Amino acid sequence: MRGPMVDTADGMMALALKRFRRHRLAIAGAVVLAVLASLAATAPLIATILGLDWEAVDLLNRFAPSSAAHPLGTDELGRDLFIRLLYGGRISLLVGLTATVVAALIGTAIGLLAGFYGGRLDALLMRFTDSVIALPLLPLLIVLAAVDLDKLGLPSSLVQSQYVSLYRIIAIVALVGWTTVARLVRGAALTVRERDFVLSARGYGAGGFRIMTVHILPNLISPVIVATTLSVGNVILLESVLSFLGLGIQPPIPSWGNLLTNAQELIWTAPGLAMWPGMLIFITVIALNFLGDGLQDALDPKATD
Amino acid sequence: MTGFLFQRLIQSAVVLAVMSFVIYWLMGLMPGDPIDLMISADPKITSEDAARLRALYGLDKPITERYLNWLGAAVGGDFGFSRLYAKPVPEALLPALANTVRLLGITLCLSLLIGLPAGMAAAIRPYSKTDYTINLLAFAGISLPAFWLALLLIIVFSVFLGVLPAGGVAALGGDGFWDQAKYLVLPVANLTIASVGGHTRYMRAAMIEALRQDYIRTARAKGAGPARVVLGHALRNALIPVVTIVSLDFGFLFSGALITETVFAYPGMGKLIFDAIMGNDYNLALVALLFVTLLILIGNLLADLAYAWLDPRISYR
Amino acid sequence: MSDTPILEVRDLCKRFPVRGKGPFAGKSWLAAVNAVSFRLDKGETLALVGESGCGKTTLARAAAMLQPPTSGSVRFEGSEITGLGNRSLKPLRRRVQMIFQDPYGSLNPRLPVGAIIAEPLLVHGLGDKAERRQKAVRLAEQVGLKAGDMSRYPHQFSGGQRQRIAIARAIALQPCLVIADEPVSALDVSIQSQILNLLRDLRDSRRLTYLFISHDLAVVRHFADRVAVMYLGRIVETAAAETLFDAPRHPYTRALIAAQPVIGRGKRTAAGCLSGDPPSPLDPPSGCPFHPRCPLAAALCRESRPELEGDSGHQVACHFKNEGGT
Ligand SMILES: Nc1ncnc2c1ncn2[C@@H]1O[C@H](COP(=O)(O)OP(=O)(O)O)[C@@H](O)[C@H]1O
Ligand code: SF4
Ligand SMILES: [Mg+2]
Repeated sequence: MRGPMVDTADGMMALALKRFRRHRLAIAGAVVLAVLASLAATAPLIATILGLDWEAVDLLNRFAPSSAAHPLGTDELGRDLFIRLLYGGRISLLVGLTATVVAALIGTAIGLLAGFYGGRLDALLMRFTDSVIALPLLPLLIVLAAVDLDKLGLPSSLVQSQYVSLYRIIAIVALVGWTTVARLVRGAALTVRERDFVLSARGYGAGGFRIMTVHILPNLISPVIVATTLSVGNVILLESVLSFLGLGIQPPIPSWGNLLTNAQELIWTAPGLAMWPGMLIFITVIALNFLGDGLQDALDPKATD
Repeated sequence: MTGFLFQRLIQSAVVLAVMSFVIYWLMGLMPGDPIDLMISADPKITSEDAARLRALYGLDKPITERYLNWLGAAVGGDFGFSRLYAKPVPEALLPALANTVRLLGITLCLSLLIGLPAGMAAAIRPYSKTDYTINLLAFAGISLPAFWLALLLIIVFSVFLGVLPAGGVAALGGDGFWDQAKYLVLPVANLTIASVGGHTRYMRAAMIEALRQDYIRTARAKGAGPARVVLGHALRNALIPVVTIVSLDFGFLFSGALITETVFAYPGMGKLIFDAIMGNDYNLALVALLFVTLLILIGNLLADLAYAWLDPRISYR
Repeated sequence: MSDTPILEVRDLCKRFPVRGKGPFAGKSWLAAVNAVSFRLDKGETLALVGESGCGKTTLARAAAMLQPPTSGSVRFEGSEITGLGNRSLKPLRRRVQMIFQDPYGSLNPRLPVGAIIAEPLLVHGLGDKAERRQKAVRLAEQVGLKAGDMSRYPHQFSGGQRQRIAIARAIALQPCLVIADEPVSALDVSIQSQILNLLRDLRDSRRLTYLFISHDLAVVRHFADRVAVMYLGRIVETAAAETLFDAPRHPYTRALIAAQPVIGRGKRTAAGCLSGDPPSPLDPPSGCPFHPRCPLAAALCRESRPELEGDSGHQVACHFKNEGGT
């Protein structure tokens, strides 16, 4: 009759956990992310304890080397680099997460519709997804980032808001960040919709919306988690490069990307300033990728051992 | 077969048409249309003057009408004039295109030459030390912000070692191979590092999948040496998806080129587009972006054909 | 018995498009169900038997409009239901329920049992939340589950218990027709009879009509009133259960019966038993589809296909249906 397939959810969780634990890099990634996130979350507290302020300009103390007062030295305006990095991390991580969640929602909806309805809708949506993937996205995003929001007819209270650059970058990045999720969700939905419980739901008269939300979506949690984790890294990279180019998050709000904007001009004077923000982006993204890879392996339904 | 080709051609044409309209529309939403610029340059221009000028340039017409006018001119070979370069758009574009083709060509060759063998080596013994190391490096490459890597390369090779230029290209007629080549070293290195990780991962995944196939297992069990199996059967199968993914990546590669060219002040298409957008040179930005999109779509189309040709199982629906 | 049958199927065909091999091969068609007709009266149990792959599941799903038939007619209580959209089918969905073969696949692993059983009620907007929960508990108890099971998830149950859950869900809407597609095939033999008994009890207490599918004749013998034997997408013999088992007339039916394990003797391998696999429905044999495996096959069988004939009590599709003893 049945093979030695594991069919209990407990068993599956245990198996997934076992496979995940084999991925030492994924665990390391999770730990690093936890540390970075808690540092960013407690930035104001740390600032108070160290008696530092992320905005305090000290023109007499420009490009100071690291010291007891300034653990990582100061920037071109004499501001403390360490605290600015923490505050930048707050913004970068927050923007990355929010944009990814928005992107994951878009991607899940598109993937679910394509996978569930199949046929022409599927072909259309996947052609669309492929086209978006194939496009030269960065220049397009630059155009989007440069668009005058007034001309778009947005309310001026929003356009003039201090945080408009945050909203804008989240919207822009989400607009292109959904493709990975869409493809993975579609693939998984194609499989789930063939399961008997979906047919059975049709059999007692459940409609398309109910089948998608109650019967298919909850069974797609793993691919959504994996794809989302893998997307956060890309989203953070996109945010940082746009901010670096001066088109993302606008100073005075610090982000890891815009902390590097001036680094290029200052590269001959203070090469050290270019080190830390980039390093943090790199560490965050690689940790996310390791984590995503580990999760993918652990939650792979095809894997056997 | 022709049906398949035709369908893909139509799809590409649709994408290009939609893109051209969207970009045209977005360009119109950028701060400072030509009239805004004139107003800021010459404070004497009154609002009536501005309105008259707008009408003169056709800027008061609805967006679709303006777009169709532009499209008509473009199809007729009139791509407008670049403000930034003070030249007709094609004349500004072509030298940049040559530079980018050189940069991307060298990069793609290098990246595939390194990435494909590395991916294969990793796939032959998954979860081995070799695989682990290759994976680690590939992930590092994927996760490096390209612009930051560029800064690091400049710091190391230009600031500290002083052996390579931090940017630009050789002066015109700069003699000697090295004089020309040294300006390419850092951009090529930067872009290669940024893309080789992806290529390695694709190859590894495709190869593992190919080695999982039943008939490969059979061949292995029958004692065909691992090298023969790997090269003989699996490689061909693994290359099929890799061709597609690599071609789908042209857009990503070009995004990398934009960053690299901008940081290294390398006068290619990426930097040109960036400068054009930032400098309100909308004619140039529009045409250059569409041109790049067109090239990428052609690349995808060729890859589709290669895929269909390589894979006997595909049906050209 | 009333005069209008609950279900009447006429000339039902279901073909699947199959993509050919090779770059230039076109689409070909696989005829999974071919010109099948039968009727099912109220309170009756019709068993559909045949080797795996002969089209039983496809026939059941086409008859229940879960996979729309390619052609033919399906009448439910006298009215035609082919070609109806999802909305018009909804009332029908209340009256006809399915039970599936695989109790591991037919229950949504992310829903607790209570929600699974109450789902059909929710979909049809019957009762409020409390009423639905109460009803689900009662249904669960009827099929031999405990009230405490309602908040547990399908993976915490054995195969037999899961099939009970599926049965509770199937009777929640008080259907008149239940289509059970190999409901016990995936279960251990000891559990099979428990589930069959449950189905029998429900039939008696709720006056259910069953279309009961099985590849196992033994299961059918004491359960069905009437049996239809399928081969390669067609019905080749249909008769009252007793008649069919005591006096089978189609060589395929005889072979199936002969292949039954007899207690004490194990599986029989005597002449008349089936050898080989059924042919592919993609490339069916000429004439009588059974001729490559039929011990009685003659030249005529290779050339012309016998129609299903006989009085309404016993119909057979064989040129030599009147020859050969039992
Ligand atoms: N969705 C489908 N697409 C193509 N062929 C199918 C499909 N479903 C069933 N078939 C084919 O139709 C035939 C009958 O299948 P099925 O009805 O499942 O048989 P049974 O239930 O008697 O085992 C088989 O040859 C099967 O391969
Ligand atoms: S028609 Fe011929 S081949 Fe077919 S079952 Fe009867 S005897 Fe056998
Ligand atoms: Mg079946």
